[in-house]
Amino acid sequence: MRATFSIVKRLLASNQISFILTAVVALCATTSGDSAVALSNGNYTWLLAGLMPFFFVFYDFKKLMYLGANKRDFYLGALISYGAIALLISLVNTGVHLLIDPLNHTQTVINLMDVCGWTGNPTVVAFLQQTVFLFLVMVFLHVLLSMQPHWYGWITDIVLVAIICIFTPIAPLRAILAGFFKIIMLNSNPLIHIGVCLGLSAGLAAIGLAVLKRKTL
Amino acid sequence: MIELKQVTKQYGHSTVLHQIDLTVDEPGIYCLLGRNGAGKTTLLKSIAGYQNITSGQIKVDGKTISTATLDPGVSYIENFARHFNLPVWKLLRIASEVNEAYDASFATEMMERFELDGKKKFNQLSLGMKTMVSTIVCLASNRPVVLLDEPVLGFDAIMRVAFYEMLTESFRRHPRIIVVSTHMIEEITKTIHKLIILDKGRIRFFDTLQALEEKAYSVSGLKKDVEAATANRNVIGQDAVGGLVTSYIFDQPPKQEASLEIAPLSLQDFFIQMVGRKGGIR
Repeated sequence: MRATFSIVKRLLASNQISFILTAVVALCATTSGDSAVALSNGNYTWLLAGLMPFFFVFYDFKKLMYLGANKRDFYLGALISYGAIALLISLVNTGVHLLIDPLNHTQTVINLMDVCGWTGNPTVVAFLQQTVFLFLVMVFLHVLLSMQPHWYGWITDIVLVAIICIFTPIAPLRAILAGFFKIIMLNSNPLIHIGVCLGLSAGLAAIGLAVLKRKTL
Repeated sequence: MIELKQVTKQYGHSTVLHQIDLTVDEPGIYCLLGRNGAGKTTLLKSIAGYQNITSGQIKVDGKTISTATLDPGVSYIENFARHFNLPVWKLLRIASEVNEAYDASFATEMMERFELDGKKKFNQLSLGMKTMVSTIVCLASNRPVVLLDEPVLGFDAIMRVAFYEMLTESFRRHPRIIVVSTHMIEEITKTIHKLIILDKGRIRFFDTLQALEEKAYSVSGLKKDVEAATANRNVIGQDAVGGLVTSYIFDQPPKQEASLEIAPLSLQDFFIQMVGRKGGIR
């Protein structure tokens, strides 16, 4: 496990640009004072979850392999890193939601934790719901990005775009799509939400492993 | 141990490796020679599990190798490999952390021997020094099989000599299979144990240098004398100038006669005759 944790350390250390970019956006983002509602700055911490997989897949993988790491340790390291980042983002956003958002007395502050319906649950539970959702997002992105050099990556892209394009305008299909997002994201039932997110993450991680096994250098 | 059985690799309609059978079963330093485009990099990458072959089987220490092998036990470094832009000492430390078998003392020793400035970041190094860092990482990995793809590219003459010493030192410390692909034919002869010649995706020669010294000869003289002397022998090439003919053989040398000039072939001449001066097997 020493090798795996060294990879975790390296993955996190070599992506300082993601942390800096996220911090800059989260700190500098403002909403007009005239508006009745304001977006919580904590929302922008989710940007980190979107950035990290790009660096892991396209930048770190090859370099770690050249330094003598193996694919198994890399993949485990990446998953552990996603877990750690999900925890960090969730911790910061929960902190912002609890401590900073209430300081704005003039506007209604919208935090994604509210939008997703997690804040109706105890804080620790909402924190966990956010963590598992972000973990799912990062694993999904990792798998999708890992597929891109291959034909099945392009097919997956086309299928995803087709699902969005076809399902959105047709009401019954739109309901299915909305239902899916209600389960994985806009879900106030913590047991179902956490269970589904972890289950989907496990499924995606298995697909990711299969993709990794086909990955060339 | 490396075992290749009927290994074929195709890129589209182009076949790069043709049904290669090869068994490397003893620790040693093996030199892989071949012209540009002969399939050396493809062969090494396939053994390392960096890419899949089209058909056949590759095994390393009994483990079937493909991109699906998560830990193939092979260390491979290609020329111009790019590393994190970190100070050299940090790169070597990361390498020691991500690979538990890593020989950190060897890496440090080599870094000092090559006067690598540990504080310099990777991107600030010259091409030769970058290659040296990659080579040190690969040799210090201590994996049972080490594959170096044209490691002396960008090295000056002094660095090349030092590299050959490093190779010998690394093998002395940890005897294992080390395959080095290079174009510097004559230079590496003092370092290697066996030679593999690859031509147009086929193994043309795999034997010791001693076998080469004992069997590789040029026989020059009048055409009829040379043909008589080399009849029933394995002639790998021939030159003709006027009535004089030089045949290159890989076989027992013919009996010395006054009308013939028999001379041992250098490795470079042997290689040229094996792969054909005008591009391939004759």
